[in-house]
Amino acid sequence: MELMGHGGKPLVERVITDKAEAKKKIAGLKQVPASRQMATEVIGIAYGFFSPIQGFMKKADVEATCKKMELADGTVWSIPIVYDISDKEIADYGIKAGISVLLTFEGNPLAIFDIEEIYTYDKEGMAQDVYGTKEEKHPGVKRTYAYKDKFLGGKVTLVNEPKVREPFGPYFLTPRQHREKFQQKNWIKIVAHQTRNVPHSGHEWLMKHAYIAAHGDSPVEQMETIGKAISGVLVNCIVGEKRVGDYIDEAIVLTQDELRKSGYFRDDIHMVTMTFWDMRYAGPREAVHHSIIRTNLGLTHHMFGRDHAGVGTYYHSYQAHHLLMSIPKEKLNITPIYVLEWAYCPHCGEVTCIGLCGHWKELQKFSGTKIRSIIMDEVKPTRLIFRPEVFDVVMDAAKKFGFGSPFVTKEYLEKAKPAFSIAPL
Amino acid sequence: MAETYPINIWINEERFKALQNAGLANLLKEELAGMKVLIVPCNEAQRDKVLKVYPMAKYDAATTKSIELLPKAVKDQIYEMVVKKKSLNVMDDFLSGK
Repeated sequence: MELMGHGGKPLVERVITDKAEAKKKIAGLKQVPASRQMATEVIGIAYGFFSPIQGFMKKADVEATCKKMELADGTVWSIPIVYDISDKEIADYGIKAGISVLLTFEGNPLAIFDIEEIYTYDKEGMAQDVYGTKEEKHPGVKRTYAYKDKFLGGKVTLVNEPKVREPFGPYFLTPRQHREKFQQKNWIKIVAHQTRNVPHSGHEWLMKHAYIAAHGDSPVEQMETIGKAISGVLVNCIVGEKRVGDYIDEAIVLTQDELRKSGYFRDDIHMVTMTFWDMRYAGPREAVHHSIIRTNLGLTHHMFGRDHAGVGTYYHSYQAHHLLMSIPKEKLNITPIYVLEWAYCPHCGEVTCIGLCGHWKELQKFSGTKIRSIIMDEVKPTRLIFRPEVFDVVMDAAKKFGFGSPFVTKEYLEKAKPAFSIAPL
Repeated sequence: MAETYPINIWINEERFKALQNAGLANLLKEELAGMKVLIVPCNEAQRDKVLKVYPMAKYDAATTKSIELLPKAVKDQIYEMVVKKKSLNVMDDFLSGK
């Protein structure tokens, strides 16, 4: 069955699952090793996370993305998806427009890349347009400046599906598989919670807030029976490039899942999956990109809090909301749910929305940094702030996957196995 | 008053009882639904030295206005000094010779 994705276009699925067919198609192709960054993008493209994009962008699409936040055909698009390459590599591998090559990862076949165009692009201009700054300390700008001097544009076809290692295996679903799951669950309205965090109670309440808002005008009677929910929260964790001090991905995925396992969400309204994507920290533009990905996963709603996907002080707290509000509804087919912070109020004795509670002077705001500090000190937070089961899972993940730390360290960056690998075909 | 750049040391039940028994519970502040924290002040020079000696730490100027991401073992040493000196003003001693 044809599924529809972002922009009202068919969901892209460019994957050869038959190994014999794949071997036949790649026979005789020149091999070009892909970096982890590029392999991650190939997976995103081929399974349709980035529909309607079918390959790495050609110059016209990059130009339109940077200047007008759309593809050359007018579809809303906010972040360039590019394949960078050096002149030396072009010469060494004999790359030219019109040929197909085999991208390899870890020495094994990954994807066929039909090269349609070789081009250059002003990287400073790209940084300014996408990130609103040219400062290299912005991680997205840093990545942009690190691109090699040429770009290749053209379609990619995955010939060898990634093996996703434990504990991530059960959480990686393609857009088609997401939609099949939603169908099995009878979910009609599904709201996305974008995360790269271990959840504290403030996050939990943001999700509950978004669920209630998304479910909104739907009937509630059937929810008196567990298993009969028709709306759901999808926690879609971003797994990709990490920085020292981030939570390790294993802790993020497992703790988010623990919220349901420990009953803070009902089994029939909550689900955790992951998407391979290197965060660009593009703030408002990244919010648009997240909307596109979640549209392709089949979601109907997307929650956006303050400082969505931002970094430092490059974007103001609600800049992502403003950009999303400026996009016509028919161009981005997912309903945003804008949420305010939740904080602990000692007067109320509960976690409450700052937009509802009148005890403003008493509110104790959640701070990600503070919570991390508490976890680093190995002090179990009060359950109103951080669920004890979640804390136990964080500490367990630190032992099992983080070399003793729930946060990314140099050792983790050096020794942790990549979340996915490509086996011999 | 000169600006301070504190180090937050979060206190578990066991340490809380020990501080109570030593008559030092008054050094603690309550935050986030009753969590106890020992706020050890640093002046600018001490902050800079902490960040130099422990490069994994950072000064969070945006939200908490405190020195964060210090390893637990380092904070444990600072905690022990606070208990020994019965004072929060321990950073000169702590940093001497480092």
